[in-house]
Amino acid sequence: MALVTVEKLSKKYDSSPAVSQTSFQLTSGKCVALIGPNGAGKTTTLRMLSGLLKPTSGTIAFAGMSQNSDIRNSIGYLPQHPVFFKWMTGKEFLVYVSRLAYLSKPEALRRAKNLLERVGLAESANRRISKYSGGMKQRLGIAQAMIHQPMLLMLDEPVSSLDPIGRRDVLTLMEELKEDMTILFSTHILGDADEVSDEVLLMHEGKIIESGSMGELRQKYQTAKIKLGFDGDLRDYQEKVTALPTVIECYIQRDVLHVTVQNMTAARHDILTAASSEEWPLTSFAVNRASLEDMFMKAVNS
Amino acid sequence: MQWWTLFQKELIENVRNVKWVWVPLVMILLAVMDPLTNYYLPQIIDAAGGMPDDTEIQLPEYQPADVVMMSLGQFSSMGVLVIALMSMGVISGERKSGVSELILVKPVSYLNYITAKWASLALLTLVAFSLGMLASWYYINLLFGALSFGALLQVLLFYGLWLLLIVSISIFYNTLVKTPGLVAFLTIATVMLMGLVTTIFSHILEWSPNRISTYIQQMLTTGSVPSDLTGAAIVTLMMIVFLIFGSVYTFRKKELAS
Repeated sequence: MALVTVEKLSKKYDSSPAVSQTSFQLTSGKCVALIGPNGAGKTTTLRMLSGLLKPTSGTIAFAGMSQNSDIRNSIGYLPQHPVFFKWMTGKEFLVYVSRLAYLSKPEALRRAKNLLERVGLAESANRRISKYSGGMKQRLGIAQAMIHQPMLLMLDEPVSSLDPIGRRDVLTLMEELKEDMTILFSTHILGDADEVSDEVLLMHEGKIIESGSMGELRQKYQTAKIKLGFDGDLRDYQEKVTALPTVIECYIQRDVLHVTVQNMTAARHDILTAASSEEWPLTSFAVNRASLEDMFMKAVNS
Repeated sequence: MQWWTLFQKELIENVRNVKWVWVPLVMILLAVMDPLTNYYLPQIIDAAGGMPDDTEIQLPEYQPADVVMMSLGQFSSMGVLVIALMSMGVISGERKSGVSELILVKPVSYLNYITAKWASLALLTLVAFSLGMLASWYYINLLFGALSFGALLQVLLFYGLWLLLIVSISIFYNTLVKTPGLVAFLTIATVMLMGLVTTIFSHILEWSPNRISTYIQQMLTTGSVPSDLTGAAIVTLMMIVFLIFGSVYTFRKKELAS
């Protein structure tokens, strides 16, 4: 079931479009990654969905809500660089925003306490936010975005600015949250998207250029790739490998021969046969699955 | 209630950033400065080395009403500056820092948001101004002669209305521009421009808010509220209401992120 249906959404800043004619749907209960390079229009899209920006044209429809109703109670939003009231403590901030979302005082206190524990800030609950580290602020940001239990949680680059430990914490948290709500998060780090998302939206120059579940996209952009390592000059073997019938393309990158092939089984046979009969000094042979990065590069280029 | 949550947050914020300390202190200082220096002028001159013996100094005899006007005179200049400075970032600062992105994606009513900000500033302004005038009143009774408490209350009421108008102007500019410094500048410029327009067109702008202090002087000397003061008070009140709703309107039109 589609929770959000976006149709022909456009946003122009001083006539240059940040997002143009974008349409997509968010399926209820899924974790969707919005992927794209910097400047692709991810933040603008999220801000329009959250109501912070008004679309130049197009519609955003939330399931079961009329066009003009206040959707803010049903969404949670974490900006890329969340800024808090520095003079508040983490707990005070959570209680404050949940009171703004019309929760009763005891309920607000209860949820703030639970959430602070869940995001690992229980010990810092009564410290001023000005003393928080970047990772702590990000986790507090996620907590404030979900404290009123929205149907849709939107996170703008939730892990991009974090160190490896903070990144791991947040990704684990998102993995848990997937059970309770629909999540839409943007990232330009493809590995993060690969890790937690069920579906991806690829965005490039203001347009969604590809979308679907990870499995579907893998299938669609399935290119088998083999990486070969040799002792000696790679260029001597590049020609020989390229000459094999099942090989589409072959290039050298960082002392590794990257071979794109049509049919993995046939190609593996060809290469290994040639290698053994001609006694190639192979040092490594690795089969690669299509990574998100490959898909992305392909989709952008096509 | 959401309004109360917003209002409470403003109060706590202004306590923690010590606005509730410095604003009243500055207002008290402004209110008592002129009355005290005028009263102690002979002693001050002596302490500074005195005048040549044959100089004759005629110091005016001040009436309580004159002294009240000295205090109000300070509020008209420095007081406006203090209000402009303390209120300049109240909304624009939150938008500039980005914290409003977190707050306003919650189901916050813009009317509540603006009026809670306005009310918290209005309360601080009125309390600080009243404390200042109470201090001034104390010295007036001690040094210059009796001024009834009723008269003081009338001064607080009418001049307080003028100060609330300045708060409202500042709130309005807060919703219009995003730079706190610019808000302060526009607020002060507007008050000065209003003063200029009132002086130039004094014959038709008898109920201009800028004339409230002139009418207060009349009120103190005659002992009764001039009808022009009532008129100016009503115009001021209407402008305040208009500015508050204008603020809500401009804020609603604004995009909250850029």
